[in-house]
Amino acid sequence: MLDRREFVKVAATLSTAFGISNLPEPVRAALKKIDPATIPKLIYLQGQSCTGCSISLLQAESPSPLTMITDYSQLSFHADLSATSGKQSLELIEKFISGNAGDYILAVEGAIPEDMPEACVIGERTFASYLEEAAHTMTAAVAIGSCACDGGIPAAEGNQTGAVGLQDFYSKRNIEKIVVNIRGCSVHPDWVWHTIVQLVKIGLPQLTEEGSPNLFYSRTIHETCPRYHDFQQEIFAKKLGDRGCLFKLGCLGPQTKADCSTRWWNGGCTWCIDANAPCIGCASPTFARKKDFSFYRINKKG
Amino acid sequence: MKIDLGPVTRLEGHLNVKTTINNNIIEDAQCVGEMFRGFEVILRGRDPLDAQQITQRICGVCPYAHAIASSYAQENAYNLDVTSNGRILHNLIQGANHLYDYLLHFYQLSALDFVDITAILQYGGKDPDLVKVREWVKAELASGKTYPAAPFLPRLSGKYITDAEVNIGALKHYIESMEIQKKANRASAIFGGKFPHATAIFPGGCSQTPTIDHIASYQALIHEVRNFIHQKYIPDLVAVAQTFPEYWDIGQSKGGFMSYGLLPLGPQSDSKRLIAPGILFGNNVSPVQLSAITEDVKYSKYSSASGLAVKDGELVPEPKKDTAYSWVKAPRYNGQMVEVGPAARVLVDYHQGNNSRITELVNHFAGIAGITPDKLNSVLGRHLSRAICAAVIADFVLDECERIDPDKPGGTEIEIPESGEGYGTTEASRGALLHYIRVKNHKVEKYECVVPTTWNCSPRDDRGNEGALESALIGTQVENPEEQIESVRIVHSFDPCLACAVH
Repeated sequence: MLDRREFVKVAATLSTAFGISNLPEPVRAALKKIDPATIPKLIYLQGQSCTGCSISLLQAESPSPLTMITDYSQLSFHADLSATSGKQSLELIEKFISGNAGDYILAVEGAIPEDMPEACVIGERTFASYLEEAAHTMTAAVAIGSCACDGGIPAAEGNQTGAVGLQDFYSKRNIEKIVVNIRGCSVHPDWVWHTIVQLVKIGLPQLTEEGSPNLFYSRTIHETCPRYHDFQQEIFAKKLGDRGCLFKLGCLGPQTKADCSTRWWNGGCTWCIDANAPCIGCASPTFARKKDFSFYRINKKG
Repeated sequence: MKIDLGPVTRLEGHLNVKTTINNNIIEDAQCVGEMFRGFEVILRGRDPLDAQQITQRICGVCPYAHAIASSYAQENAYNLDVTSNGRILHNLIQGANHLYDYLLHFYQLSALDFVDITAILQYGGKDPDLVKVREWVKAELASGKTYPAAPFLPRLSGKYITDAEVNIGALKHYIESMEIQKKANRASAIFGGKFPHATAIFPGGCSQTPTIDHIASYQALIHEVRNFIHQKYIPDLVAVAQTFPEYWDIGQSKGGFMSYGLLPLGPQSDSKRLIAPGILFGNNVSPVQLSAITEDVKYSKYSSASGLAVKDGELVPEPKKDTAYSWVKAPRYNGQMVEVGPAARVLVDYHQGNNSRITELVNHFAGIAGITPDKLNSVLGRHLSRAICAAVIADFVLDECERIDPDKPGGTEIEIPESGEGYGTTEASRGALLHYIRVKNHKVEKYECVVPTTWNCSPRDDRGNEGALESALIGTQVENPEEQIESVRIVHSFDPCLACAVH
């Protein structure tokens, strides 16, 4: 995880990359206008992923997804949106990864099959080999979603590919690169896009011990849950569909750090607990990891 | 000449297509799924109620289809009495998910194969969205960047739409559709808790209790989506079809068609469905027998036995297997290859005369295009079939709202037996989706999924017969063998999802 010294180092690197390093701090913070020439280019690669995080990114309200990939960043490559395809797209990716197309931020969705590199290939080259090469040329990496951060479901107990998250992948190779971890299965679009806004306008955000932006991940879901009052009054849902605190049905809000309880989902219209669905801890570094740690306490005989 | 088309973009996941070209004709094509995770093994030994959550993560584009298939399978395994509300909420969630998926597929995943994005440079109107895009593209092209205007450029060479008005209209709708798809997803999240990956879906229904304000919001959102479908999506599709009529004859798959049927009209597991199930060979439709499905692995990267029935499925990866070229298995129906997906859904229903609206829409559009219904087996046919499904589903879910019993539970109490087994079948937007669960000691003993793109992007089976997409590519004439925009259009018409296919 990042210590203070690394933090400052990275902040400096990122500021240089975005061309705002010469400005005094208050000016930088107050910077309103974004220079199109210095917005970060994103190379978005998918590993052992389900594309759910990409789809979630399209659910952003304000700024809109289109604004995010044109005004605040440039999405130089994304397998789901890019017009380019095949060999042409491989040339584009390889030009960036080899350091021949300027500065870029690597965005990664999905886990990396550490014990079975053939389990994820792009253009006959392993996904792992792209990540190894990119480590030497990228400004920083953003791990998008629980798979990219910690391995997620591909890394769940009993998996056959030895799936890991990006930070682990780099640590095992003694590669020191900054990885900003945006957890969630899927991520909330704001968590990613607003981190990018922060990177563009101010610089590296404050990160938690787990390397996630403080802004979204500093408190547990339980602490700010609208049903916290029910919890205090011991008004508990006893069966699925009941209102009240969902703790006794297995809600993982008390150990999951994310701001779903105040941000809500899909344009703020709803979220899991408002639909009486216990939190399954999808933003937790240990999401779905153990077979015996089931999502619910509903199957009493299990 | 051998040309790899991978990575094929604007689809879900990791797909390569290896082609052999002779005299500008595709002589051979191999679909290569390039990513493996092993969900079926990960699920073993877990609490069965984890399954409708875990399996949604097979695919973040159509997670709800997996939640529904898993719920149906569990309902059968637990002998659960599903309430009317429970089934309706499942339908509302899944229906809305189909609508978003069709729009995403037509605009974000397919439109750039046909629409000329550079037409924006000539735009002289005052629409603020389009003016903004025009100025952005201009600035990008003048910027001296290595890749200006990415992700919209560069693109493959080929013939694009030349009519400026059609191009500009489609680009405007590309932007608008990004807003509209959110509304469809917001509608499904009202009952599903969130999108993607709904947490409120369970076997038997939802944890959300439907109230009148939920219903009113859902209907309002779907009305907007429905308007977009009729006023923009369908006219844009017709314009593409008029510009590229040759694509009614390009991309035919050469097997049968299978659909499990979509959206049950009652709570029982054997209820009639809005879109009827069946298997179609020639003009004959028969009921689907799940026992007729087996999965071959001679050309797939597994050392486990080939030709196993679904409930006996095994999954032992062998990444360096000599004969194999894909992580996708090769499912077959009585040993025969079938296409699944929107065209299968519509053709299987049409041949049974089940849903009168489908019959009417097929005849209507076939009339406009001057085609026979069998031409739904083509690039344009698959696109049209999606639009027909969209129109039918949008009307159905709006009506379905009126049948909700407000303020009554959206689900039912679940008791998981010591042992049991069940199949769940539905139609994901990409086609026939099957889940199988076997419970023992209150845990998952076995879980198997046979997913739409497993059928469509299947490699050769043990006897060497190609999968649906492979068969649709072989024989196609391509102008530029290095890039093959024709092949990319064929691939996109199937809307492959490789995370689903391999899982």
